[in-house]
Amino acid sequence: MKVSSFLDPAVLARIDNLELLARTVVDGFINGLHRSPYLGLSIDFAEHRQYMPGDDIRRIDWRVFGRTDRFYVKEFEADTNANFVVVLDVSRSMDYASGEISKLDYARYLAACLSYFSRQQRDRVGLVTIAGEIVDFVPPSAKHLDIVLHTIDRAQPRGSGDLAGPLLKIAEAIRGRSIIALVSDLYEDPRAVLRAVSYLKNKGNDVIVFQVLDPAEIEFPFDGPVHFEDLESGERVPVVPELQREGYRDLMRAHLDDVSRLLLDNRIDYSLFNTSEPLDHALFSYLLRREKLNRVR
Amino acid sequence: MGFSFLAPLFLAGMAAIAVPIIIHLTHRQRKEAIAFPSLMFVRQIPYRTVRRQRIRHWLLFLMRSAAIVLVVAAFARPLLDRSTAAAAAFATAREVVILLDRSHSMAYGNRWSRAQDAARRVVDGVGPDDRVTLVLFGERAEAVTQPTADRALLRAALDAAGTSSSVTRYGPAFQLAREITERSDKPRSEVVLITDFQKAGWDPRQAQRLPEGTGLTSVDLSEEGTTNLAVTGAALTRSRDGERERVTVTARLANLGGNALEDVQVSLTVGGERLQEQRLDLEPGAFVSLHFEPFVLQSRPLRGIVRAGDDALPGDNAFHFVVEPDEPLGVLVIEPRGADADHSLYLRRALEVGGRPGFRVATGRITQLSPADIDGQAAVILNDAPFPTGATGRRLREFVEAGGGLWAVLGRRSPPGAWPTEGLEFLPVRFGGPVDRSAAGGGTLGYLDYDHPAFELFRTPRSGDFSATRFFRYRRTDASEQARSLARFDDGSAAMVEGRRGEGTVMLWASDLENFWNDLAVQPVFLPFVHEAVKHLAGYVEPKSWYQVGDVLDLAQNIETLGDVDIEGVELVLESPSGGRTVLEVGEEPAMVRLEEAGFHELRPAGDGGSWSIAAAANLDPSESDLTPLDPEELTAAVTAQGESEAANLEAVVLSPQERERRQGLWWYLLVGAAGLLLAETLISNRTRGSYAKR
Repeated sequence: MKVSSFLDPAVLARIDNLELLARTVVDGFINGLHRSPYLGLSIDFAEHRQYMPGDDIRRIDWRVFGRTDRFYVKEFEADTNANFVVVLDVSRSMDYASGEISKLDYARYLAACLSYFSRQQRDRVGLVTIAGEIVDFVPPSAKHLDIVLHTIDRAQPRGSGDLAGPLLKIAEAIRGRSIIALVSDLYEDPRAVLRAVSYLKNKGNDVIVFQVLDPAEIEFPFDGPVHFEDLESGERVPVVPELQREGYRDLMRAHLDDVSRLLLDNRIDYSLFNTSEPLDHALFSYLLRREKLNRVR
Repeated sequence: MGFSFLAPLFLAGMAAIAVPIIIHLTHRQRKEAIAFPSLMFVRQIPYRTVRRQRIRHWLLFLMRSAAIVLVVAAFARPLLDRSTAAAAAFATAREVVILLDRSHSMAYGNRWSRAQDAARRVVDGVGPDDRVTLVLFGERAEAVTQPTADRALLRAALDAAGTSSSVTRYGPAFQLAREITERSDKPRSEVVLITDFQKAGWDPRQAQRLPEGTGLTSVDLSEEGTTNLAVTGAALTRSRDGERERVTVTARLANLGGNALEDVQVSLTVGGERLQEQRLDLEPGAFVSLHFEPFVLQSRPLRGIVRAGDDALPGDNAFHFVVEPDEPLGVLVIEPRGADADHSLYLRRALEVGGRPGFRVATGRITQLSPADIDGQAAVILNDAPFPTGATGRRLREFVEAGGGLWAVLGRRSPPGAWPTEGLEFLPVRFGGPVDRSAAGGGTLGYLDYDHPAFELFRTPRSGDFSATRFFRYRRTDASEQARSLARFDDGSAAMVEGRRGEGTVMLWASDLENFWNDLAVQPVFLPFVHEAVKHLAGYVEPKSWYQVGDVLDLAQNIETLGDVDIEGVELVLESPSGGRTVLEVGEEPAMVRLEEAGFHELRPAGDGGSWSIAAAANLDPSESDLTPLDPEELTAAVTAQGESEAANLEAVVLSPQERERRQGLWWYLLVGAAGLLLAETLISNRTRGSYAKR
């Protein structure tokens, strides 16, 4: 048996074709799982089968039991036609890379992999790119994977990272309950993030928030007095990293803790991805968590 | 004759003079700006712009610097030393603490023998005035010798020491070293750290700084290019095939070394029999899950081992577990007088379905119930039936007070008038007539206590939705201070309440469970909800298939699972995987035993031919398998005082240096000199500023 190691984002960066990249990552790590991870991501179900001892009892369909007096399990709930929409933040702050791969590239790969992954489950996939406003909108459809990948591929950094405005519009634009994956660096007050995401959540959507950060944004490894220039506003401030590093790390840690706590307290899935981590590793970690949730409908 | 200082560490303050100069000369502010995603955090940190200035007034600069030097020197409390040579002999006497890492990672290759050799060399270098303490540490630290200069004793302790199954934790070791050196009256202290510097064992937040004047010498036993395959965990999935219970083992393997591993043999041994074997390749850093074919569980507990490959750290190549058949929980469902045949259909069928543990459900009418029906049950459900009267009622109260669980379900057949007074008093709250919500399309549950075991399963998103359930009728309840509301309807009325009675639990559900007053019974959450609630009432604790080394084994709880075994006055023996035996007495208090070794621990009566025994599997903490070393300098910097100078302590003499310093009082002259310099500097700088102003 040959087991492949997790793929390095820097290696993925050399693959030009986004669909090939998504296929490489998704298929590669699914093979490594030794069993199907396709569960819990969508809303409908495909078929019933009779309950077998050992099945998760939470999957028994009681309505069918009421009618037939037999236990049936909703199998392959994910094998459906649910809406899956990636909301990709393409603001200028995402165009940051301390290593070989920028946050936007990483977010692109993640968005492509999630879309490809969802399409594998026969979900309708859609995409919205935002940068303080809605930049591109691809409505969810079973035939839109190519357009979604193409739109992700040509997304260019622009504008600010304000979430509230575009997410409110998206909540109004998307019809029917959807699974919405927000991929962003979340440079906003955690309460503002929660307020913005709640627009989607309150419409009955399942919202998953992926925060993508560069290792340098977490560790602040700079040295020497220097000016920092804000990628979004262009504002410059003088910085002495040696003196400000600890304070910066404390603020960043508190920010991440607040975002995580507020979202999870409001029953919104949240994952933090570091661009130095292999992408399939990140997906793997996320799916492991999702698997534990083992959705019940 | 020379100068020495009573508090030499203050001299480090002189470095403050150099800092601005060095920064000024070596750090030119870069002209180009670094693009950064957001300045929202940077802006919040106080910062003063550093302006690059030339030193224009050398005299002022020198005067200020000299003032700083004098103040710092005064704080260091200088004294003239006329007897350094005489004191030197005493001053070399040392308090030495050898911190010897005995965590499991030290069993890698020949690390342990190298560690013992290094410790022996330290012992051989001990002088007649030195005192040495040998401390062995893993997760905890233990001084195996008192401070001594007896080399033979230290060597014997070293020879007797061995590696353990414990994880590495540096914090407790440095805490103990600190306590020993603080107690010491020797002029010099030295800590010798002999370890593989395992990164996983280092938590900078728990770093204990050694006292001032204590030196740290480290012996690094880590190697480049380690190879380590570890079985980091296993999942046991149960299924039923008719009466037979099957178990599928999924092992998690990790190649934590830097080399690819090929054709690794992984085997599953159960009950002493090697059942299956697989082979696989592992890239460096790869994690993989490996499924074995299911095996049939027998009526007795079975010991299992997943073993993978063979390398220089064999301890983590095996994963131990104990798997035992599930004992179903007895549940008695009591139905009201005149109920339909299908009155408890949903409840009964829900409890009959799979799950772990299984439930043994008995159903009985309240009119036909006898006290004996309650014997052997783990929980009793009054399914819309009143509390029994007479002997059965007394037996039910005794059952609950002894630790049993009672669930009162209050539907349409349970008006308060139908309940006997003693039954009403036994409930955690009073209840009244029905509230009709059918006109508005039904009420919903507005609050659930997700911290309670009955609802904890539904805490996470998409793990169960109670909001879809419609309640057309329910009973009004009066809150009580002793009761805990686990769920409330959207009008604030309690839907589910719990209270304690003796050792047991009484729970009240203010509607029915039969799809009449509400549609909960046909909701997907019904089945897991009923299971979780009954498991909680029955006090069910899932038996652990394995522990981690360092976990505590509750003997009393394990013995309880055997049923009617009488251990009163019986002497028990706990045998460790290496064959060590510990005699235990299980009395009134719960007996806890810490599992120190990986493998199978066995508890049984002493001198018994084997009437019963309990096995517990213990495995290594997976973090100990990660041999990645940390930078020794990082650890050294965190635990030693900054600017530490051993020479300063060598100068310390036996003839009361404090007394000599107090008599000489040099610090006072230095402070006066500093004050004079600062005064002169003020005058000169005022004149200089005046001349600039004129220009």
